[in-house]
Amino acid sequence: MNLNSLKIYGMEIKTGVKFQLFLGLTILLFIFRLTVYMPGSIVLTSINELLVLLIFTSLYSYLLELVRAKRVNPVSFVMSIGILNAVIFFLLTFADWILSSLITKTEEIHINQSIPANFLSFIYSYLILSSLAIMFLAFRELYFYRQKRNVSTYFNTMTVFFALTCVSNLLNKVIEPNFVKGTFLIISVMLIIINSIKISWIAFSVKKEKIILLVLSIIISILFFTNFAGVSDNTHDQVILQFSPVLNQFLKIIMIYGGIYFSILFFTTLFHIPTAEVYDRKAREVLFLQYFSKLIIESHDFSELAETVTDITTKVCNAEAAWIAWKDGEGFKSLANKNIGFYDSNNITKFIFDSRQDRDFSRSFIFNLKKFKNHQQLSEDYFHFAAAPIRAHNEIKGFIIAAKKDDLMFDDEDRDAMNTFSDYASVAIENSRLLEESIEKERLEKELDVAREIQRKILPSKNPDFEDLKISTVFIPAFEVGGDYYDFFEVDETKLGFVIADVSGKGISAAFIMAEVKGIFESLSKTIERPKDILIKANEILQRTLDRKNFVSAAYGLIDFKKETVSISRAGHCPVLLVRNNIVENLRPSGIGLGLNFGAQFVDSLEEIELKLQENDTIVLYTDGITEAKNKELEDFGNIQFEQILINYSLKNADEISNKVMREVTLFSQSSPQHDDITLVILKWKQKLKNDGDSEWQNSAPQLKTQVI
Amino acid sequence: MAEFSTSTKDAGDINVIYLKGYLDAHTASVLENTLSDLIDKKKYSIVVNFKDLAYISSAGLGVFMAFIEKIRENNGDIKLAGMSDKVYNIFDLLGFPLLYEIFKSEDDAVKKFNETK
Repeated sequence: MNLNSLKIYGMEIKTGVKFQLFLGLTILLFIFRLTVYMPGSIVLTSINELLVLLIFTSLYSYLLELVRAKRVNPVSFVMSIGILNAVIFFLLTFADWILSSLITKTEEIHINQSIPANFLSFIYSYLILSSLAIMFLAFRELYFYRQKRNVSTYFNTMTVFFALTCVSNLLNKVIEPNFVKGTFLIISVMLIIINSIKISWIAFSVKKEKIILLVLSIIISILFFTNFAGVSDNTHDQVILQFSPVLNQFLKIIMIYGGIYFSILFFTTLFHIPTAEVYDRKAREVLFLQYFSKLIIESHDFSELAETVTDITTKVCNAEAAWIAWKDGEGFKSLANKNIGFYDSNNITKFIFDSRQDRDFSRSFIFNLKKFKNHQQLSEDYFHFAAAPIRAHNEIKGFIIAAKKDDLMFDDEDRDAMNTFSDYASVAIENSRLLEESIEKERLEKELDVAREIQRKILPSKNPDFEDLKISTVFIPAFEVGGDYYDFFEVDETKLGFVIADVSGKGISAAFIMAEVKGIFESLSKTIERPKDILIKANEILQRTLDRKNFVSAAYGLIDFKKETVSISRAGHCPVLLVRNNIVENLRPSGIGLGLNFGAQFVDSLEEIELKLQENDTIVLYTDGITEAKNKELEDFGNIQFEQILINYSLKNADEISNKVMREVTLFSQSSPQHDDITLVILKWKQKLKNDGDSEWQNSAPQLKTQVI
Repeated sequence: MAEFSTSTKDAGDINVIYLKGYLDAHTASVLENTLSDLIDKKKYSIVVNFKDLAYISSAGLGVFMAFIEKIRENNGDIKLAGMSDKVYNIFDLLGFPLLYEIFKSEDDAVKKFNETK
């Protein structure tokens, strides 16, 4: 039965139109009754009944849409049935008193009534009709509420039998006694009973609602039966019978329906009351779990999660207080305390974990404070407790603890619920930890980007170029910036200063020190010439800013183009290599690294050497990123191999030499990660380009000789 | 990442720290903790044994610098012993032999402590 939309002439009628239709039919009925209606005529009676039925249906379908538009609680349906029932009760009670004065005994005369009397009885009938429409609608909604299977057949069958019973009421005068009506009525009542037993929605109500329903249903059921008894042989009966015998019968059926339905509801509710608490609790648990799992996804704020965990724990376990005991070094600290002071919670936590070392803390447990000696110290007398561990990374990080005062103990249900919540909390905490980790990782990567950028800007963008001196440089930064630095300073037209340095440590801190070192050398090179003096001054300046555990190894050199000399001073850096006549000389004047000592020891240790430059001399500056480059077996590239390559290619130009070195280093380390910056600076002094140079060294086997100065 | 660990031995007034594995920027904090623990316990006579150390980076060297001042203020010292040639070379390049006493063996270093007492 589709009453959602009334179809007349194949047209669907909208909600607003339904109400207009209802009003129109009402006026039509009123005029019809005033003018042509004759109770004796079968045709006119049928028209009358048809109009009443249409009015009822249009009102009903209009109301149905209103109700469907919003979700209505079954309890409010029950309430509205109750109220309307009370209205009918009052109408019935006062019907004699109100109506009898106006309406004379009307057994014989139906039509010769005054218009006010007619109007009043019309209104009265309409009140009954509207109440019935609303009640029937409420019953229907109650019936379908929370039904899982399609049960409309039962209800529709019942409605059909209601209609049959009502219509057969018209036969009252034809058949005496009315067996047809009796039969239909009995079937209707049976269907009412069958349908009323299917009250499934009651189970979903909370305890409070169930108690309200219990009281309401008994009152309403009594009212219905009272009204049913009241509908007979009085003024009301006459007025309604005169209005529509069908409606009168329908009123009786609804009264029966209501009486039976609410009696059954009363008993059903009664039987549901004992389990109401359990249901409520499970419903709450599910609800909180839903809420909580949403929170886990949405929120990664640890303290917010902790607050929610304790809040939900108190509600689900009916506890008065709860807190999280979070592992903090050896002991525990209290978090997210709910209804309990930190002093109390800390004391109780301490008591649990001190007194019961033998307990299996990996599962939830229940305990009390019977053995707790310092009861008077606690500000509130919580006595029973339940605790569940919170795990992260397979390690117990803390416990959720719930507390109750005196009489009420925690049961296994509470413990299980807490276990569930602690599992959720574990997931949430693990999530937030992972997030923090990835943020940290991202932060580190950003930091390293910055460090690499600093380094790139600090190193010279292009090498100086001279007729007598060709320079080639290679710089390959490690993923974690290593703090390598090299630079050239054109002191004047005849002098070139050069520096190579390696800052201890890695990352952004190394990059910042590097920037500082560049500033120092940049400015010192303008005022001081001698490499040794520059290093002494640089050490002095660095004392002010350098952390004690940081230091800088550096080598500073000065090439004098006029005198054709190079002077070198070294502060803890790798030796400067001089490749001459197929021999690599390790130029290693003594000197402590910058920042290792700020006293006389540093100054005393520092030496400076000066060499006369010869044609084809190669001066090589490097950092330990080259010699300590590792292969898969974690072996070093090493000085010997490095020097061998330098000898092999010593007659090539600066760029070729650096290329060859880098190729060998790359081949050696292959897929092994580069741990440190690689810096290589090749200074080639007055290279004579011999056409036959290549063949010359290829024929003579190069000898490896290193010499330490 | 390569592993690094330390262990300590209490030899009367003198404490020996054994280094094992790769000491670099990532593992330097392990040695930092070991040294600061000893200083907290007012142990200022420390021998560091490098016998099992495979590699030391500049950050690793920095750890010794971070503590030496405090230790020497308290009439103590860090003496280094048992370095491989490779490790010694790194210390040597930076001029550490001028700042620290470096011994061939742990015993020599302990002996030196006892002599000066």
